[in-house]
Amino acid sequence: MRRLSLTGRVKLGLLVAAIGFGVAAPYIFSSFIVGLLSLALIAGLFAMSIDLLAGYAGLVTLGQAGISAVASYGVGYMANKVGAGVPAQILVAITAGLVASAVFAAMAMRTDGVYFIMITLAQGMIVWGLSIRLYQITGAENGLTGIERPSFISEYWQYYYFVMAVVLICSFLLFIAVRSPFGASTKGIRESESRMRMLGYNPALQKFYVFMISGFFASIAGILFVYLNEFISPSAAYISASAIGVLEAILGGIGTLIGPMIGAFIIVYIQNIVSTNLERWPTLMGLIFIVVVLFARKGIVGAISAGWQRWLDSRESRSGGPVEDLDDLPDDLAFESSEPR
Amino acid sequence: MAEAVTEEISREAIIRAEQRRRRLLFTVTGLLVFALLVWWILGKMSLKSFWLQALNGLSFGAVLFFLASGFTLIFGLMRITNLAHGGFYLVGGYMGFSVMSWTGNFALALFAAALGITVVGLFTERVLLRPIRGLEKPEVLLTIGLTFVLGDLSLAVWGGDPTPVPVPGFLQGPLRIGDFVYPRYRLFVLACAVVVAVVLFYIERRTRLGAIVRAGVDDRETVAALGINIKAVFTGVFMFGAFLAGFAGVIGGGFLTLLPGQDFEILLFGLVVVILGGLGSLPGAVLGAVLVGLIDSFAKALVPELSFFTLFAPMALILVLRPQGLLGKEE
Repeated sequence: MRRLSLTGRVKLGLLVAAIGFGVAAPYIFSSFIVGLLSLALIAGLFAMSIDLLAGYAGLVTLGQAGISAVASYGVGYMANKVGAGVPAQILVAITAGLVASAVFAAMAMRTDGVYFIMITLAQGMIVWGLSIRLYQITGAENGLTGIERPSFISEYWQYYYFVMAVVLICSFLLFIAVRSPFGASTKGIRESESRMRMLGYNPALQKFYVFMISGFFASIAGILFVYLNEFISPSAAYISASAIGVLEAILGGIGTLIGPMIGAFIIVYIQNIVSTNLERWPTLMGLIFIVVVLFARKGIVGAISAGWQRWLDSRESRSGGPVEDLDDLPDDLAFESSEPR
Repeated sequence: MAEAVTEEISREAIIRAEQRRRRLLFTVTGLLVFALLVWWILGKMSLKSFWLQALNGLSFGAVLFFLASGFTLIFGLMRITNLAHGGFYLVGGYMGFSVMSWTGNFALALFAAALGITVVGLFTERVLLRPIRGLEKPEVLLTIGLTFVLGDLSLAVWGGDPTPVPVPGFLQGPLRIGDFVYPRYRLFVLACAVVVAVVLFYIERRTRLGAIVRAGVDDRETVAALGINIKAVFTGVFMFGAFLAGFAGVIGGGFLTLLPGQDFEILLFGLVVVILGGLGSLPGAVLGAVLVGLIDSFAKALVPELSFFTLFAPMALILVLRPQGLLGKEE
């Protein structure tokens, strides 16, 4: 096996430490905190699914909450209105999420940039609007109750471990996806659509596939979310939910997988702990949004990577050895396609 | 050499003829679908309620036109997608409500609120957007963040109850002409929209300012090279778009009432208008607003539980068949 570089060893160490902390958390913290950790993990998976589009394909979506809400409603409808078992609930939820993704992807795949943002925003809001009006299916503003976790994960800490396992598996799958040739051609779409077309790729089709993969993981996040709360209401599809996911991805570092997870932990912390005494959470969120977009578009991972690279450079220049380069630096949100419009 | 040129010219002519043919086909199909829909609707309701719904749709479309024309103008010239337009609408409406409550003067309320939002627009363009000029995605995301701040602050100031903007006495109640009965205020809104549309078209097509803006849409660098202060034009257009949004808020608040969350709801309608009509096109904003207004009104009357889906379906159709919108320019 190839010996890991210093950066690789540090990353591996941090990952092991994070997982160790995650496993130990229920023994240390109260049920409230463990519940928040579950929420943060789910939010992180959701933000990763956004980042797959925003960071890797260069397509910022403001409608992702619509897709995960469709999946959540799939669970809620089967549990509350049909009375079906958990396997049927999950099957319907994933199918519904994928169908919604396919329809949305087909609508948006021929666009990019701000058009893509506008279209996805409208899509998410339409899911929200429908969930308010289709009382027979969604229970409108009252939402759907009567959703129960299966017995083997009914306790809060059991569910926490379950969420952690699912999120780890999903992260690993995403890790493979972005490292694969498929991931490389996805980045190619972001860099230059016309060059990819010249190379024989079909950009629209590529976008469709990425959208579907992203929608799949958003659906998983939606399912985990609905079993966490055992409740679903239209606000899950609202623009705020989508926008918070985008904020988490940018705050953590767009174009990386760990960035959105870090961003999600920070935002969940601020929303549930810092601002419990603060009535004006949307204002605070909006201000964080503005500040991050203006001053910190590379996010936390971007800042850390830059510092780490500087330290590596100075170390190498002292020892005179070969210079080690970071391979997966986060991308600037400001990145624009090099194509003339 | 000459042959190559001739060939090039004839090829271009063929492409243009093909485009014309496709446009004709598209228009004819569109009109046919429209006629079929009208026929179907007339089978479902009486002629009288048909006209009532049509006027309801057109007056809602009028408000959407105020909103979408500013949005599309800003986008066309500066390539800025101002998602805070819904926030401008809501805050403008609330400002109009306050001024109206204090003074009782509707015209004053209308212009004070619109000017207030113009100042907000000036701040947004000069302070918030200037540092990230030209970075499309950060610009959009910043305006989304701004909408959250505006929406939440207006909740703090004006509360969460549905708030209609009071309208002056001579606009209250129905207008009766023979058999025809219809709310005066909605007719007033329609008249306003016609006036604003005429003024906007006149400015865009016939004045020097309009010429500068149109030139700026096509080629910003050349306009700047001609000695025109394009930055000042940018700021002016952004402020004007904000003015229209504030205006729309007061006018719309008179019959749609103001509610927290309406910023994003009206933004959704505005987005569908520009996606249908074509981004950056003033005629597109008119066509889109009329279509969305009518669709919304008839859908609410005929299939109330699907009223959001009826917005979604035409949008999906247009995006697949004609991604640049009905009257948008091909890129």
